[in-house]
Amino acid sequence: MTAIIEGTGLTKRFGTGEATVLAVDAVDVQIEESELVMIMGDSGCGKTTLISLLGCILTPDDGELRIDGEAIDPVSEDLSVIRREKIGFVFQLFHLLPYLTALENVMVAMDIAKTNTREAESRAIELLTQVGLVDRLHHRPAQLSGGEKQRVSFARALANRPKIIFADEPTANLDSRQSDNLMHLIQELRREYQTTIAIVTHHEGLKANADRVIQMKDGRILNT
Amino acid sequence: MKTLFLKDMRYRQARVVLTALGITVLISLILLLGGIMNGMRIQARQYVESTGADVWISAEGSGGAFIGFSMVVEEYMAFLNSAPGLTADSASPLVFAQARPTVRGKSTKAIVVGYKLGQLGGPKQAVDGRMFTRSNFEDYRPEDPVPYEVVVDEKMGLEIGEQITLGNEKVRVVGKAKSLMFVLDTPLLFMDVRIAQKLLLGNTPHVNMMIAKASKNEQPVRAAADLDALETIEARTLKQTLGDIIAYYVDEPMKAVQFLRVMLWLAAGILVGMITYVTMLEKTQEIGVLKAIGAANSYVMGLLLKQVVLISGVGVILGLILAYIFAAAAPIFVAIHLVESIIVACISFIVCCGSGYMAARKAITVDPMIAFRGEI
Ligand SMILES: Nc1ncnc2c1ncn2[C@@H]1O[C@H](COP(=O)(O)OP(=O)(O)O)[C@@H](O)[C@H]1O
Ligand SMILES: [Mg+2]
Repeated sequence: MTAIIEGTGLTKRFGTGEATVLAVDAVDVQIEESELVMIMGDSGCGKTTLISLLGCILTPDDGELRIDGEAIDPVSEDLSVIRREKIGFVFQLFHLLPYLTALENVMVAMDIAKTNTREAESRAIELLTQVGLVDRLHHRPAQLSGGEKQRVSFARALANRPKIIFADEPTANLDSRQSDNLMHLIQELRREYQTTIAIVTHHEGLKANADRVIQMKDGRILNT
Repeated sequence: MKTLFLKDMRYRQARVVLTALGITVLISLILLLGGIMNGMRIQARQYVESTGADVWISAEGSGGAFIGFSMVVEEYMAFLNSAPGLTADSASPLVFAQARPTVRGKSTKAIVVGYKLGQLGGPKQAVDGRMFTRSNFEDYRPEDPVPYEVVVDEKMGLEIGEQITLGNEKVRVVGKAKSLMFVLDTPLLFMDVRIAQKLLLGNTPHVNMMIAKASKNEQPVRAAADLDALETIEARTLKQTLGDIIAYYVDEPMKAVQFLRVMLWLAAGILVGMITYVTMLEKTQEIGVLKAIGAANSYVMGLLLKQVVLISGVGVILGLILAYIFAAAAPIFVAIHLVESIIVACISFIVCCGSGYMAARKAITVDPMIAFRGEI
């Protein structure tokens, strides 16, 4: 198995002087192709910061990052290119654009990557069908339930065929039935697309779905 | 998706419409103020140019024929009529004085133009009715046999035979002249120079100015300069007189309006900048999310700029249209120049887009990490 993503000595501090917080402390981490990893730990232990570093949203103060075998140089590279080509994100609060329909929300991700509209539309329909929302294509986020919104988010994250999807507490705002359905969907998507997924979660109950659990504490990884 | 920015705008349509309307009103005001000043300039010129005179003579120290208080004695007539550099016998006496005639029981503003019929200073023919009876200027002595008659601007709406009151005297309307309003739509009342002297200048043998034509083989500039060298009179060319009159009646009093125009431009810029900025603040989360899912800064910038350009463009074009509608409906003479209004529209468009751009540039610096946080 090959590592899709590989961080070595990743370090991130916030603030200066007395108020400095060492959010991620020299972390070594690898995620293999097609793996479903759960990142768990107490609130404030650095989970979000870690996936932001791995997802090229934050630049590390120290350490190295390789995605799909290539070293990332956060100084000279435009990280937005890597984000749209190789990474998908799912957020706790869904963050769909309120003025767009479910279909358009998925298409936006492809628009950003300069996919032509016709192609983007047919892929968005395919993805939304896959996540069970074929009858919700033209609904706005305000007309969708939490579970449905999170499905749209997954469809959006998959749109550009990313190497890996990072989901930050995707079930935190869902009830247990919606969250079970979502995990079901995630398993299905993995079977279909062999996507690599890293999920940050508090829910101990979701552990069973994971290939591996990364336990964090105070900015460090406890066991792998 | 070419229409992404349109969808965003439709979602915020109330704000979009209000912003565009704000620009519309500001632009039309900017154009209207300019049009009012243009109208004043045109009106400041048209009477002076219509006289056909190219040398304007006023009292020494008056600063020019229409500027300061000017009284010239009649004795100069004889001298001017034979002055070298002036066309022989072209010198004409002229009373040009603000007055408040009572017209149909209402006190109104007007300018009395007293001149010698057949000479420079006023129309030779009436467009309706007849011209006033001509007095013999040179032979005038205390009692005047000439009746009090006036030729009014055709746009005043007076009927021939009607009487208006000037001072304590009744003056009969005998004819109408082709419309030649002075600054701010002030109508001209043409009458014999003697009657004007009697009604407005206390029956003195003075006039406000003398006007003449330069002789064929003399440059008006030279003719005026030679006369100006004399100690008791000032002389100006037509061009200088027009410059004086425009400066005195339009540019000076309209300085505050000019300033206001600049302020309106600023207001338009600030309006767009502010609304774009406030919209951006509201959209911080959205912009952060777009960046998090891979949008380059240029993508977000494009999205925001398209909106700014569309709103500014629509606002400016509607402003142009509105200005022309207002100009047609305005109670005073407004002359909007097409070229000038296009330039104003372009500058306004640039100002609006510029400030929108500055707000957008600030907005795209949003940290995509915001997507992981609940609230801003
Ligand atoms: N932008 C920031 N500025 C300052 N401190 C931050 C910032 N982001 C995160 N932190 C701090 O870093 C630590 C790790 O945060 P985070 O990665 O969000 O934790 P988790 O996702 O595990 O709850 C926390 O102590 C948090 O307060
Ligand atoms: Mg977190």
